[in-house]
Amino acid sequence: MTEDDDFLDRLRGEARQLRFEPDDIMTTRIAARVRERITAESQAGIALVLARWFRPVVASLGTLALVAALGVQWLEQPRETPATALDALTSTQSVDISVGGDTFSVE
Amino acid sequence: MDATSMFGGAAGGPLALGRLVFSAERAQTRSAANEDPIEARAIAAVKAGDAGSYDYLVSKYMKRVVSIGWGIVRNAADAEDLAQEAFVKAFESVGRFKTGEPFGPWIYRIVTNLALDVMKHRKRFRHEEITDAAPAARRDRADLPAIANELAQRIDRGIESLPEMQRIVARLYLVDEFGHSEIATMTGLSEGTVRSHLSLARGKLKEKLADLHGGSND
Repeated sequence: MTEDDDFLDRLRGEARQLRFEPDDIMTTRIAARVRERITAESQAGIALVLARWFRPVVASLGTLALVAALGVQWLEQPRETPATALDALTSTQSVDISVGGDTFSVE
Repeated sequence: MDATSMFGGAAGGPLALGRLVFSAERAQTRSAANEDPIEARAIAAVKAGDAGSYDYLVSKYMKRVVSIGWGIVRNAADAEDLAQEAFVKAFESVGRFKTGEPFGPWIYRIVTNLALDVMKHRKRFRHEEITDAAPAARRDRADLPAIANELAQRIDRGIESLPEMQRIVARLYLVDEFGHSEIATMTGLSEGTVRSHLSLARGKLKEKLADLHGGSND
């Protein structure tokens, strides 16, 4: 077994020069592409986070605005007050009063 | 002589001895990582969201990662793509990376897995083209580094003539100088399987290079 290990150790010594050595151009290119991709992903990540936060906020604000608009519209619509209704009642309807067989009409 | 070569012959020996070797290799790897405080700081910064700190890790492990990828796919363009993909993949999953662990074995495992996927893909799509008569046709030898010495060329041819997993394990062990446990982690094989592949490769290489080493088959 030791002989086998010696054999592999000697092969290792020689085989070291078979290692592929990327040149400077290749290493620079790889580094640049990696940087470009991770930067793009980071920016996409930020946009995603913002979208995640903003979507519910915008939806809530939209709902509030709708409710407020409906409320204002409901409050501002022309409505008959009790006094006006009484006036209308008294002005349009006549009251008949009978006293001793005679009927009097009061408008 | 390191722990691996001291106990290298004990593949079939007591389990405890195997564990001892494995622990020693792991301890070596961890202590090597702990010796680089800049790496630890870079990893922490990347995990905290500083993408710029990743440059340090890329430049530190670049050559080794390309070499591992090239050793498996034997093509410079593919090795370049693999390295790029491995670094991006590692960045994407850096949140799962355990603080204090060495970055090297992790990125080596990623690039090895990607390279093995490329080989599977090639095998699937070129299955009909590959015959036993022309096993070298699938390899791109144009990217071979300039090898000065004839012995290295013969070793290269010997490694390339091995069956695929023996070739990959032998190259990681002999050329990239990884230990058994490191190769096991990188390839997803058990340490025993790695030793078995290496033993078979050693036998075949011994036959092919018998004259150079004056060795006979035991």
